[in-house]
Amino acid sequence: MEPRFACTACGKCCHGLLPLTLTDAVAHAVRFPLALVWTVVRSNAKSYDLATRLGTSVRLPNRKTVAVLIQPTAYLPNHFPCPALQPDNLCGIHADKPSRCRTMPFYPYREEKDQADLLVPRKGWECDVSAEAPVVYRNHAILDRKDFDRERAELLEQAPVMRTYADYVLKYMPWIVNDLAKMAAAPAGGKLVTSLSSFLTATRRTDARELAAAQAPLMQAMAERTRTDPALADFHRNYAGWAKEMERLAQRG
Amino acid sequence: MTSSACPCCSGLSFETCCGPILAGAPSATAEALMRSRYTAFVRHDLDHVERTHAPEIRDDFNRAEAERVADECDWQRLDVLRATEEGDEGTVEFLIHFRRDGQDMRHHERASFRRVDGQWLYSAGEVNPKGEPRRVVKVGRNEPCPCGSGKKFKACCGR
Repeated sequence: MEPRFACTACGKCCHGLLPLTLTDAVAHAVRFPLALVWTVVRSNAKSYDLATRLGTSVRLPNRKTVAVLIQPTAYLPNHFPCPALQPDNLCGIHADKPSRCRTMPFYPYREEKDQADLLVPRKGWECDVSAEAPVVYRNHAILDRKDFDRERAELLEQAPVMRTYADYVLKYMPWIVNDLAKMAAAPAGGKLVTSLSSFLTATRRTDARELAAAQAPLMQAMAERTRTDPALADFHRNYAGWAKEMERLAQRG
Repeated sequence: MTSSACPCCSGLSFETCCGPILAGAPSATAEALMRSRYTAFVRHDLDHVERTHAPEIRDDFNRAEAERVADECDWQRLDVLRATEEGDEGTVEFLIHFRRDGQDMRHHERASFRRVDGQWLYSAGEVNPKGEPRRVVKVGRNEPCPCGSGKKFKACCGR
């Protein structure tokens, strides 16, 4: 049976962390509070080889090597809707929406032949997978691959920048290796979050000040929205801290 | 005016310890510079931290983050564990005790310093340094045995 799939615009996938290409992150810096999210991919994972090309390889203290993806990310708690999601559940920036949203439900951090399970709606999602929905994936190949290829190409193009950043972090925040080792050992994996300010410093971006100026009010607003919920304490701490960093970065000459 | 104790825990007053260095005077030793950089964090004087970076790491300094760290941490104590100097190269191993987000934390680092035109500069740091690498000396089979017996190694302990 061929998997079928159609989006019903239920808006359910427009929530929580949204991994962006670097191009999209920069283009939407006025809209999304940005962070860098690190994910460990173990050497026995199907997507390991791809992850080493899109991300970087890190040798852990136990001498095992893992691949690490570092994704510029719209940093939102799981149940927070995308700021561009409208009350009618449609995208407010449809014409300019990020690659990640265009490619859904496919995911270019995985090999093309390994996408079938992504066509099964997650709990609570209302994707149409009935006989009425079109076939979108056949013989382990994506039928309309334009968006997938575009996102993949952007990821490959940005990989050297992400590697520069990884090198910086491992040099100046070497304790992160221990966090990565913990994530590699945990069955459920995990995510590690680093700040946009360290990314801007590491990559010497000339537009750092403009990006920081765009981010500061967003971080401030998110810090407010997450202030009272104890479950969001980590988010709140990050937003509040990064708001200060972005304000300072924006003020610097 | 009574002088206040220097935040670097030297036991001296700020005016005779880190004060002049923060004001721009060259530090006499790598350790003194290290102490003044800690004091700069305590006093939120990140200019001093920034200007005492060696040129090769200047662009790597995330000033915005350092300012925030300085604000958010309650700096409690600096322990200088070891300080050595050889000509214009210095190494200082230290432990900083601080509180952040209600948690007691420690930062352990072995920092390298270099003297340029009479000014000590911070050039690199290893966090949670490992011990000195163990030196293993290989003894040739025909060399005198290191045990001092006077015999060849192969005829003595190397047998």
